[in-house]
Amino acid sequence: MTSAPSANPPTASTARPVVLAVGVIALVAAGAVSLAVGARAVPVGELWQALADFDPRDGDHLVVRDIRLPRMVLGIAVGAALAVGGALIQTLSRNPLAEPGILGVTHGAGFALTVGAALGLAGSAISQLGLGVVGSVLATALVYAVGRHSTLRLLLAGVAFSAVLMGVSLGIRLTSPDALDQYRFWSVGSLAGREQTDLTVPLVAIGLALAGALVIARSLNAVALGDTVAHTLGADVARVRTVTLLLITVLAGAATAVAGPILFVGLIVPHLLRRLTAGSVPWLVGLSALVGPILMLVADTIARVLLHTGEVPVAIVTAFLGGPMLIWVVRRYGAGSL
Amino acid sequence: MSLLRSRLAKGAATAATLALTVGLSACGAAGGEQSDGATRQFEADNGTVEIPENPERVVATGYAVPTLIEAGAPLVGISSWERGEPLMSDEDLTTYEELPRIAGETAAETNYDAIAEQDPDLIVIGVPKPIFGEIDAERLESIAPVVAIGPNVPSAWREVSRTQADAAGALEQFDQVKDEYDTRADELKQKYADVLPDLKLAHVGGYGEVENGNFQREFDGSWGTNIANDIGAQYYGEVAEKGKGSRAVSEYPSLEELPSAMQEADAITYTVDPDGSAPQPVGYVLDSNLWKNLPAVEDDMTFPVKYTEAATYGQAKQTLDALDETFAPLLKK
Repeated sequence: MTSAPSANPPTASTARPVVLAVGVIALVAAGAVSLAVGARAVPVGELWQALADFDPRDGDHLVVRDIRLPRMVLGIAVGAALAVGGALIQTLSRNPLAEPGILGVTHGAGFALTVGAALGLAGSAISQLGLGVVGSVLATALVYAVGRHSTLRLLLAGVAFSAVLMGVSLGIRLTSPDALDQYRFWSVGSLAGREQTDLTVPLVAIGLALAGALVIARSLNAVALGDTVAHTLGADVARVRTVTLLLITVLAGAATAVAGPILFVGLIVPHLLRRLTAGSVPWLVGLSALVGPILMLVADTIARVLLHTGEVPVAIVTAFLGGPMLIWVVRRYGAGSL
Repeated sequence: MSLLRSRLAKGAATAATLALTVGLSACGAAGGEQSDGATRQFEADNGTVEIPENPERVVATGYAVPTLIEAGAPLVGISSWERGEPLMSDEDLTTYEELPRIAGETAAETNYDAIAEQDPDLIVIGVPKPIFGEIDAERLESIAPVVAIGPNVPSAWREVSRTQADAAGALEQFDQVKDEYDTRADELKQKYADVLPDLKLAHVGGYGEVENGNFQREFDGSWGTNIANDIGAQYYGEVAEKGKGSRAVSEYPSLEELPSAMQEADAITYTVDPDGSAPQPVGYVLDSNLWKNLPAVEDDMTFPVKYTEAATYGQAKQTLDALDETFAPLLKK
């Protein structure tokens, strides 16, 4: 459960700026490592050359500029989107197990991709991206239409609708080998192979939604205390909830559309930061936007070198890291930290 | 995804469905009606099997479907084989479409009653050996003799298809088509004798995994190369770490490794769809700037190849024609 925002421990207040500074440094370091590590050995000196003095005839420069740099940007955007989406949904629902996909985003995108593949409409990366966006938005809109009157009802509608979409998708995949083939790759989220796809729209959407999350975070402080208290404090609960849900949909929908379902980032990052932020939703959102990308970049770098036979999808690494991290948080701080 | 891996999975699903079908609908129906009672011992992946000498009601799955249609075997039921449809002749396609489906591409598509209704006297399971281990063979054998004959490496379709045709008593037509293939291959080998054997070739296959940022490089004896090998093409190098099946002749390096993988190639072939368009995994390579910087690409020595999925001699004749068409400019250089 989210702790009360009123009496922040002094240690947390003073630690936040330090964590922010360390986080920025860690993000820069993770980004640098992300540019440096890959299947092709690129000398460190060439990294800077590739960025500052690009030679389109140089293989090292092409690898850095055409493959690793777009992938790093994507990792930052997806990590931030999922982590902030997780922070928002956990705060709004006051449910420590909530994650961005709980509103039907993940299964909506998966359903749309499955139907599209079965109809022969998912043959290119851009079409898969479009299907993911459409599926996410439609699924969330339907969930919202059913459960908009209360947060609990919204979550239940999301879970129920996700189950329905999952079942129908499974049925389609079992009767369509093409849909099964395309889905099984998409269903294990990855940051690889996206560098040739124009991701301008989803990345801009994520950027705007992150800015919106920082703006709405202050209002969420009141809503986090419960509707009654929030009303007493003068908050427009309905408006805050609607805007927050819209932001979650954009963040999770865009991230899922471009990278597939990547679980645990949206769940674990807010938990890692909850004790530190001591109930301050703005700090939780801000630091999530920093730590989410770090986790994603580290996981993606590990994904490239984990197996000598080739890289593994980053979602496998995030799940592998996320599970133990969650257990560690629970053991270290107790269930109360959740 | 590697082609063989994909095919293994699909073959397994189909085969498993067949096994279930038998279990559900054929209790006590051991042995379809034998044509004349004469039998022979036949060596298959599942051991020595006693089969009819002249089978008259054959059920085929997987790779056996296009082979036995092409060989004119007495088929009474087949599994779906959508991936082979673009390679079938009009006549074979008509036969394929008219035959009853006893299984789809996956287990869930199987019509559980249809297989029992066909009352086969021979069942030819055309899936690779490891997949056959997932089948409940005992149940299947309670309907009719079962022979499992599937490829373990891509180039094995030659031997495998002949064994399938032999089991189904359809060697005569099979050998006729094989002779036509051999004649055409020899003809092209002579035609390109002065140019092709001297080239260091590399091949980009159609089963790279864009989602993992890699591409498929195929060496001698792989899907995209084995028919070109028959006309004198040689693909340099070998798999860094050999695996089983298609992994022995193809690998999946990261796109980052494209320059090191193909820098030495004098010419590069790549798989395209029957309509000439590049499948997504090949397009991923062709659209990259790393590809555009390769010496072979700069020298305009790249050659698209259609019909690289051929797994019968009839289909492979189309591949030969496609190779002739794509390599023709070499004779003018």
